[in-house]
Amino acid sequence: MSSVWLPCGDYHENYLQDQGWWQSNFVKFKMLLLLAVVFIGIPLFAAEYWIGVGTMIGFTAMGALGVQLLIGYTGLITLGHAAFIAVGAYTSTLMVLQFPWPQFMVDAGLAYPVSVIAAGFAAGLWCVLFGLPSAKVKGFYLILTTMAAQFITVDFILTQYVSQIGGRGQAFSLPPGTIKIGPIVMDSEREIYYFMAVLLTLMIIGLANLLRSRAGRAWVAIRDNDIAAEALGINIVWYKLLAFFVAGFMGGVAGAFWVSNTAALSPEHFPFFLSLWLVGVILIGGVGSIHGAIFGSVFMVVIMELLQMAVIPMGDYFPKLLIDFAYIKDAAFGLAICGFVIYEPNGIAYRWWQIKNYFNLWPFSY
Amino acid sequence: MRKRALFSLLVPFLAVILIAGLCPVAGAADIKIGGIMDTTGATSDVGKDYALGMDEAFKWINEQGGVNGKKIKYTWFDYGYRIPEAITKYKLLKRLGSIVIMGWGTGDTEALSPTVNKDKLPYVSASYSAHLTNPAKTPYNLFFSSDYSTNARAALTAWFDKKWPGKSGFKENRKPRFAAVYMFASPYCSAPIKAIKDQATMLGFEIGPDQDVSLFALDTKSQVMALKEFKPDVCWHGNTTMSVSATLRDAYGLGLGADWIVNNWGYDENLPRLAGEAAEGVMGATPIAFYGQNYKNMDIVVAAAKKYNPGVPQEKRLIRTPQAWGDALVTWEALKRADKAGDLTGDGIMKKGFETLSLFDIGLGASPITFTATDHRPTTGCLIQEWKGGKFQEVERVDLKQRWPEKWAKEWLGW
Repeated sequence: MSSVWLPCGDYHENYLQDQGWWQSNFVKFKMLLLLAVVFIGIPLFAAEYWIGVGTMIGFTAMGALGVQLLIGYTGLITLGHAAFIAVGAYTSTLMVLQFPWPQFMVDAGLAYPVSVIAAGFAAGLWCVLFGLPSAKVKGFYLILTTMAAQFITVDFILTQYVSQIGGRGQAFSLPPGTIKIGPIVMDSEREIYYFMAVLLTLMIIGLANLLRSRAGRAWVAIRDNDIAAEALGINIVWYKLLAFFVAGFMGGVAGAFWVSNTAALSPEHFPFFLSLWLVGVILIGGVGSIHGAIFGSVFMVVIMELLQMAVIPMGDYFPKLLIDFAYIKDAAFGLAICGFVIYEPNGIAYRWWQIKNYFNLWPFSY
Repeated sequence: MRKRALFSLLVPFLAVILIAGLCPVAGAADIKIGGIMDTTGATSDVGKDYALGMDEAFKWINEQGGVNGKKIKYTWFDYGYRIPEAITKYKLLKRLGSIVIMGWGTGDTEALSPTVNKDKLPYVSASYSAHLTNPAKTPYNLFFSSDYSTNARAALTAWFDKKWPGKSGFKENRKPRFAAVYMFASPYCSAPIKAIKDQATMLGFEIGPDQDVSLFALDTKSQVMALKEFKPDVCWHGNTTMSVSATLRDAYGLGLGADWIVNNWGYDENLPRLAGEAAEGVMGATPIAFYGQNYKNMDIVVAAAKKYNPGVPQEKRLIRTPQAWGDALVTWEALKRADKAGDLTGDGIMKKGFETLSLFDIGLGASPITFTATDHRPTTGCLIQEWKGGKFQEVERVDLKQRWPEKWAKEWLGW
């Protein structure tokens, strides 16, 4: 059954309608409007800084979608997703810097796009490797194995070995003009934003479609009761690993995208805190919903930016506020999680669902 | 009811944030300078004093009339040595209209370097990585001090000149043995390693295996035990004071018997306090005078510290304060020159400001500073000091350009 109540008097008559992308003309209009805002409104009318904020929202959302798939849809709690983002970022960067690309591919601006796809596969497979214990363990023990992914990947392999490739011993730096998609050189906030918007849209469409498929139903079944799911004939190990692969793939693409935003890379970009942050994002946005990952990302990034903006004018009178803002932000993050867990445990997505249903059923909302 | 009460509080709170957030943030200041500092992160043991010094320096500069009468508005943030946070803060400071950024660590400075180049925004950092000194690659990165590679080469050379002839190995006519201790993962710590090994090879050292010591390390016995197998005559420590002192204590306790040479961020007034007897004889790179030492302009630094931060005891102040002043003073001079030329754009500040400085003396015991369009190494050498008999004493002022002019000009730029 659809997750949205249809307006009074409208009914679905078959399964295809129930699972349809466009449940009504209003939904179609609403989504087209959203796409117009994302692809035309923001890049054309927002200041460069806010376009950068939009890019951060997109990066957070790309990472959070993978976490959402694992935690929200498959019930596999992960605290190591930053590791898979890091694998993607390093795969893409190393491919761009070190791979002997044929000159025509460099000229055609294909090196970076190919590296983004490769980054997705590399991170997906790496994620499957750390997902293997999920065949045997779950719950608290699985959390620990995913944490191991963080420490083994970032603190050990990337730090000690991968970041030493090329004898740098420092941050990988991508020279200007290296990150190119076709004829477009990614050197302004606007181009990076567009790239993010395209990637995020593709990821949402891809994940939403997967969730409507056999795999999606299997994931939800595993989340709700893995023993019952197995009794129904679902190969739970296969579907768990598939979830890890898809989540890792999305994380890897997010990491490869991050490189275009910073043009430099070091293991310090992917701390354990980033993994926690992504879990916090879906907790606040709403567990078990694609909307949740998006809402959580918007909330966490925009609220933090606004908080920062609010603090700046006060900086003249209370300089400590400005100086310690990084920690005020951390405290606000912790407070937001506590607040949501206590007062809105289903997250912003649930509130959005209620608002939508209220208007759909109006004036007979009872 | 409870939810409603919560919302009645939450909605006005968010509204205030939104209004305050969207208000124009530009103030009345003529010149805006941003700061990205570490007062709570991995390098806060040296970062706090640097951040205080920078703030004091800009207050003092404003008292002197600012930049040709234009006041400076200095806005700074603690980024906790977290690179993504530094990137966010950089973007914010740019949005606020900063025309120069005073940065901190090597990781974030190198990570931001491509962005800084793209934005043409001069970035004066406390990272003295030599990777930032080649204007062909990093045209907008600057600092006042000798770079880490120069520090490392100079420290090893000073030890080779002054200490090695007194060692038994010298009399036995064997090669001196050298090993490097640093945090492999830290861009700051690893920046000069290639250079110091190159210098060691050039001077005829036998080089042992590197040892990885975290910036947070409190126990380094396993690394010291590994060093003991190699029996080094001299070890380079490339970390900050806290982990350097931990290593010195362990090396002293386990009887390593090697001399130590330390990079500038691991060598300050806290080192003998933390390492005690183990600090005796330790040599280090000192790009500027220790706090309160009798050098030109030090009285200004001390007076400003007392005036603007009277709550910080004088005995707690470190060489980091003069270091911050070094970066602030050189920036001030560049801004004055660029402003006089009527061009305070990023390009103007570089070409009509920084790159016009030739043997510019900021006092404070620092070497004269020169920037050219093709070379951003501010100095050609470094003063090496030693902690001996309860005070820092000069060992040698090594001038690399004078000793190896060919290599200095043709080989050593940018690494």
